[in-house]
Amino acid sequence: MTVLVFTLILLLSAYAAGLLGSLTGLGGGVVVIPVLTLGFGVDFHYAIGAALVASIATSSGSGSAYVKEGITNIRLGMFLEIATTIGAVVGAIVAVWLNNSAIAIIYGCVLILTAAMQQRRKSDHDGVKGSEMARRLKLFGTWPQKDGSMKHYELRHVGGGFSVMLIAGVLSGILGIGSGVLKVIAMDGIMKVPFKVSTTTSNFMMGVTACASAVVYIQRGNIVPGIACPVLIGVLFGALTGARLLKKLDVRLLRQIFCVAILLVAINMIYQGVTGKF
Amino acid sequence: MNIQILISRTLRIGVSVACVIAAIGGAIYLWKHGAETMPDYTGFSYDEAHPQEYTTLSGIWAGIRAMNAQSWIQMGVIALLLTPILRVALSLVDFIKEHDWIYAAITAIVLSIIIGNSVGV
Repeated sequence: MTVLVFTLILLLSAYAAGLLGSLTGLGGGVVVIPVLTLGFGVDFHYAIGAALVASIATSSGSGSAYVKEGITNIRLGMFLEIATTIGAVVGAIVAVWLNNSAIAIIYGCVLILTAAMQQRRKSDHDGVKGSEMARRLKLFGTWPQKDGSMKHYELRHVGGGFSVMLIAGVLSGILGIGSGVLKVIAMDGIMKVPFKVSTTTSNFMMGVTACASAVVYIQRGNIVPGIACPVLIGVLFGALTGARLLKKLDVRLLRQIFCVAILLVAINMIYQGVTGKF
Repeated sequence: MNIQILISRTLRIGVSVACVIAAIGGAIYLWKHGAETMPDYTGFSYDEAHPQEYTTLSGIWAGIRAMNAQSWIQMGVIALLLTPILRVALSLVDFIKEHDWIYAAITAIVLSIIIGNSVGV
């Protein structure tokens, strides 16, 4: 395959990855890894670098709109970023010791967890009584309703949420993906933050978390220009298209199809990892 | 200006700049190397030395001046990385201005973890 053909195919795949990642709220990195490893036979250590680039592009690209609309809880994101950045630094150190099979199995498990969490009911957690710790940290916020008004919400279990965020950070450092599923478990599941606020704040945090390990990955040579360029441009435009479509489309069916697809990819990854095919 | 709008604008401008720089690099890359067989990405080793043109800042700078395609693309990636970091730095300034000392401290911690890990402390 020539460089030109590889670049064009990857550009189109990255566009699709950004589009799907943005419509399903999972981020572009999740799709980029299987495209590169299963599709092109690229080594996982290059795919991680590409996923990091994709994660930052999705986060910054679509985060811009959410922040402006006032859905993102910037204080909550900032506070939890302490945990995710520390985790990411640890993850980047651990990644050196992992071979392709180990990374494939970890990635497969995260995908299965992601598919399972997609089935959860999206809750607004009405009437949650906030904890004293959360009050001191000024983590309570408001989020816009359909009628344009702002609704107040409280949250609790700050310590528990923070601990899960550490794990989310480690996984992000190892896999390069935003590990949005763990971030949503921490905020929506444990801290009882409204679902929409959880997902947008998770997306907002993804960029900073990825940055904490990305520079190390550049220095080690995991981020190669021949892959990074089409991924950066493709994912960015895909994410922008996705953010625009999301306002008009009903994506429930798409999310269900996507859920089955990631389960199949997960099984494939784990199988090939266990049998040492990578 | 409202901090939310400032952050939103920073993110948008940052990704646009990154995209333009990477596209310039990509165009040079395809023009010079488009017809060649694609590099071998099937194996990665941490032990072998990777080209300076895209792994060190000084190497990237030198490559930019020489119109090296790989260095231009990598500069685009660095611009992309700087976007969220700049966002954190702006929040820090805003929290200090609002005399919100708890959050100024939290933001400073996040910023120092990122910068500390990047320069290899």
